[in-house]
Amino acid sequence: MLTRLAYRSFQSLLVTFCLLITVFATDLRAQDDLRAMVDALGEGSFAKTVEQVEALARTGDPKIVPALEALAAGDLYQRNSDKQVFLTRTAGGTLTLVDPLTGEEVGTEAASALTKIRVNNSLRRAVRTALGGLTLMSPDAGVRLQAAQTMLRSPSADALEQVETALAAETNANVKPVLERARAAALLVSDRPDDEKKAAVAVIGNAGGQDALSLLSAALASADDNLRPDIEAAISSIKERQALWSVGQNVWYGLSLGSVLLLAAIGLAITFGVMGIINMAHGEMVMLGAYTTFVVQEVIRTSFPGLFDWSLAIALPLAFLVTGAVGLAIERGVIRFLYGRPLETLLATWGISLILQQAVRSIFGPTNREVGNPSWMSGAFELGGLTVTWNRLWIIVFALAVFTALLFLLKKTPMGLQMRAVTQNRRMASSMGIRTPWVDALTFALGSGIAGIAGVALSQIDNVSPNLGQGYIIDSFMVVVFGGVGNLWGTLVGAFTLGILNKFLEPYAGAVLGKILVLVLIILFIQKRPRGLFALKGRAVEA
Amino acid sequence: MNDKKPTSLLYLDGVSVSFDGFKALNSLSFVIEPGELRAIIGPNGAGKTTMMDIITGKTRPDSGDVFFKGDIDLTRRDEAEIAQLGIGRKFQKPTVFESHTVWDNLELALNRRRGVFAALFYRMTAEDEARIEEILSTVRLSNRRNDLAASLSHGQKQWLEIGMLLAQEPELLLVDEPVAGMTDAETAETALLLKEIARTRSVVVVEHDMGFIRELGVKVTCLAEGSVLAEGSIDFVSADQKVIENYLGR
Amino acid sequence: MITSFLLKSFDRTVIVAVGIILGLGLLIPALNLLTAPDHPLHVPTYLVSLFGKYLTYALLALALDLVWGFCGILSLGHAAFFALGGYAMGMYLMRQIGARGSYGNPLLPDFMVFLNWKELPWFWYGFDMFWFAALMVVLVPGLLAFVFGWFAFRSRVNGVYLSIITQAMTFALLLAFFRNDMGFGGNNGLTDFKDILGFNIQADGTRAALFAASAVALAAALVMTSGMVRSKYGKILVGVRDAESRTRFLGYRVEHFKLFAFTVSAMMAGVAGALYVPQVGIINPGEFEPGNSIEVVIWTAVGGRGTLIGPIIGAILVNGGKSIFTAAFPEFWLFALGGLFVLVTLFLPRGIVGTAQAWRAKRKEYRKAADDEAVKGMAAAEPLAAE
Repeated sequence: MLTRLAYRSFQSLLVTFCLLITVFATDLRAQDDLRAMVDALGEGSFAKTVEQVEALARTGDPKIVPALEALAAGDLYQRNSDKQVFLTRTAGGTLTLVDPLTGEEVGTEAASALTKIRVNNSLRRAVRTALGGLTLMSPDAGVRLQAAQTMLRSPSADALEQVETALAAETNANVKPVLERARAAALLVSDRPDDEKKAAVAVIGNAGGQDALSLLSAALASADDNLRPDIEAAISSIKERQALWSVGQNVWYGLSLGSVLLLAAIGLAITFGVMGIINMAHGEMVMLGAYTTFVVQEVIRTSFPGLFDWSLAIALPLAFLVTGAVGLAIERGVIRFLYGRPLETLLATWGISLILQQAVRSIFGPTNREVGNPSWMSGAFELGGLTVTWNRLWIIVFALAVFTALLFLLKKTPMGLQMRAVTQNRRMASSMGIRTPWVDALTFALGSGIAGIAGVALSQIDNVSPNLGQGYIIDSFMVVVFGGVGNLWGTLVGAFTLGILNKFLEPYAGAVLGKILVLVLIILFIQKRPRGLFALKGRAVEA
Repeated sequence: MNDKKPTSLLYLDGVSVSFDGFKALNSLSFVIEPGELRAIIGPNGAGKTTMMDIITGKTRPDSGDVFFKGDIDLTRRDEAEIAQLGIGRKFQKPTVFESHTVWDNLELALNRRRGVFAALFYRMTAEDEARIEEILSTVRLSNRRNDLAASLSHGQKQWLEIGMLLAQEPELLLVDEPVAGMTDAETAETALLLKEIARTRSVVVVEHDMGFIRELGVKVTCLAEGSVLAEGSIDFVSADQKVIENYLGR
Repeated sequence: MITSFLLKSFDRTVIVAVGIILGLGLLIPALNLLTAPDHPLHVPTYLVSLFGKYLTYALLALALDLVWGFCGILSLGHAAFFALGGYAMGMYLMRQIGARGSYGNPLLPDFMVFLNWKELPWFWYGFDMFWFAALMVVLVPGLLAFVFGWFAFRSRVNGVYLSIITQAMTFALLLAFFRNDMGFGGNNGLTDFKDILGFNIQADGTRAALFAASAVALAAALVMTSGMVRSKYGKILVGVRDAESRTRFLGYRVEHFKLFAFTVSAMMAGVAGALYVPQVGIINPGEFEPGNSIEVVIWTAVGGRGTLIGPIIGAILVNGGKSIFTAAFPEFWLFALGGLFVLVTLFLPRGIVGTAQAWRAKRKEYRKAADDEAVKGMAAAEPLAAE
């Protein structure tokens, strides 16, 4: 045992030493040797060339990578005059010659003066293996990782020893596990003894994922009875984990959709839920918020390109102001004459929504406008088996932040107190000196402004077009009605419940049918609880 | 207790109901006999309107029994059914069909078959006409029969509503603050009207106006915080120490 | 007094309206078929179809008015009932194409052949027979309204909540009909019709007959609705609108009254849709658009809800305006429509007919008061003269 350990450490020391030599101490003489070996690629039969490639691979020198890649691609030529081998670039009727090792241009030659080195499939395979082995030794950890992943995807028994050598030398914590898996994958297709294969199955099984599943399935086809139960167990354990992760993924998608619904509905929870105004132009407030973002980004693009990452931060207050002002104008101009006539309010605000849509269409055109993601909202990261995109994550965070801020505003500030007082008992509030018309106007403006900042966030994941708002209006009403009118928490729970429900129905029913089912469920739910999830009870409600 | 059920017209026992933790009725019990005129008083929030909601089926009690005519369980029926059983209700705020004429209001209230198709193919008979005429003169609205209910004065609307209840021919009438907002003359006339009505059926009146109740001269029940505080003649109740504390004030 | 006067004029209005509608139903087809194309009074066929479309819209508006104007139920689902009636008719027309489709399949409509379907789905059975399709035109919307209304009214879903869930219902149907595997032609809907009852659907005579049929249907619906709202049932319906709880405490089952009106109204909308489809030549899921339902509401509001001829006038005025407007300034139509919504709700809540009626009633009252005044004056003057 001890001797084995000593041997292993000695081996790894030796390999490290060799690597050091190849990387740092490659001198001209070595270069000359390599040159000769590369030139030899042009000699003899396919079998001879394969041997030559393997010999090159054994040098472990990364310099030969371009030459091998060119060989596989059919870009490697031999000069008829001196049998030297070159990489080539086409330039008109002539070929530009490139030194295969240094990458320098060394002149041109007519096409007729060169002979293409022919490749067949077995040669290509040899090159691929050789390349894999070579890049496994690269000093760049990124290259090694990539090589290990390539080996993992297309394992070959021939590469097993290379992988093992590389594994022994590997110290990088990111590369090492991938290499281990690559080794296991290669081992599975080799003719090593079964107990080693069993260990390999375990390694791959633990890694999980779709790749592991296909590796194991492939191995299962050729495995003997001794190994078969192990592989089957590993496959089913991977599938179980995948099922679990897909539930997680559904929850994540559901949360994401829920946050979008919450953003869209939260302004409505104020105007409809608190004030009882059916604002059919609510969706258009969202749309105006999105267009505000578009305008801000346009100005930044043309005048201050450096500020692009700040565009959303600039757009937020602007969108709030713009839509809040539009909301204020609507309330003062139309809605205040219609209090106590909710159905008329519905019609008038629908008319306003048509006007706003057409206005935006006239100004910005009917097509989608491009709104970019700032760098901190682009891309994605992996979390276990989940793929999490940054923009979705930020939108969830943002939706919750808006919700919290609104809750705070309503519960802890004088303005919120006045709003609640007016909605609970208008006459009493007004006789206590609260200027109820102003509170109405400001509450409506607040609801509209929140719809506007929702528009800023939604511009990041949706098409910014004049019809943007139409897509949200029915969903928003569903959320508010489902959650219970006049209750912000109801809106929160309603939004996330509907979001998750939708995403769980989707895999079984499809996106459209899932949505239909959710609508039908809400309609049925309202029959059961006409006042929503968190309803007020008692006499006051009936009045 | 049980032996009382068959004879009484309305029987409430241990009725409780709460809204979001607020106990609107707290084990309320009382009995109305056939042909009785009863006044109910109590401070705001004593549960007077909730009590009416429960009797007429608008609200379901959390616990307790409500029986009509001995053995009809009212807690299991809805408003329309209870109305058809013979319980009429007048709201605090006069509620009539404003865009119909006085005549049409009474026609709709008339105790005839209540189904959709019965209504669709209804034809007014001479008997129905005579009955409406009779009610019109009882509630003193004969000369306004063709006017829209919306054009009536507040007091006249109250009377029209009472007239509609009469047309319904109930055995029990629940009347919520019939004289609120009436002139003294109108109040006196309303008292006469109610006494007249009570000759043929039971009436429960909820009222704040002590003068009006004195004028009625009937048994009084005082409610407070969802249960009965005192019951008896107006002089007995208004002398009760608890009633003075809770309602009348010192 | 005022009401009895109104009731009388109501009668007269309905009779006059029915007369005008039926007269137009004769006159316009006659002017189309019997005059030469260069005659000054000639009505071209495209206008016959356009006017026919207005009549079906008027019928739809009348249907909505029955529930909204008279019962206070603002249904945003009437576009769905209309479209369902239209689809039932469209299915009949598709089956009439027979082997004349592009794929020449005698049984399957083109879109099914295109989707590689091998046999007719069960719910397409029977639509080759006109009587069956005609039955479905009223039955399908009626049944949907009945089931939906039975649940909604029983649980007392009222006011804006009802509007919102009827809108949700329409939206769900919109999504469903967009799906190819529903078997209703998906996105493209049903079109390329050839015959109706054996007559070429493009022929002038057929167009004229369809117009006349629309006029007759509208007149019949008007008479029926008028009968309904003037009966005791109609008075109760208005009672439900104005004081629902009073109606309930009088012993009426409000949910039954609402349900009956809602179902009848949905059936009328279905008939309107069925007459609409052969005249425009297509039915697609766009007809379910929630915006369409709301547009019907504004026709009714412009004309005057709670009156019988208001919705008819409103539907024709708004749609006539739309035809002219979209031809002249297409980009401003939505501004005009949106403005109409706002202005009518703010300044003309009773609509044209309602406002005219109120104005006439007021003038009458004023006159009566003036007469009384004059009589009093004379009575006062007489003793003086005697002295």
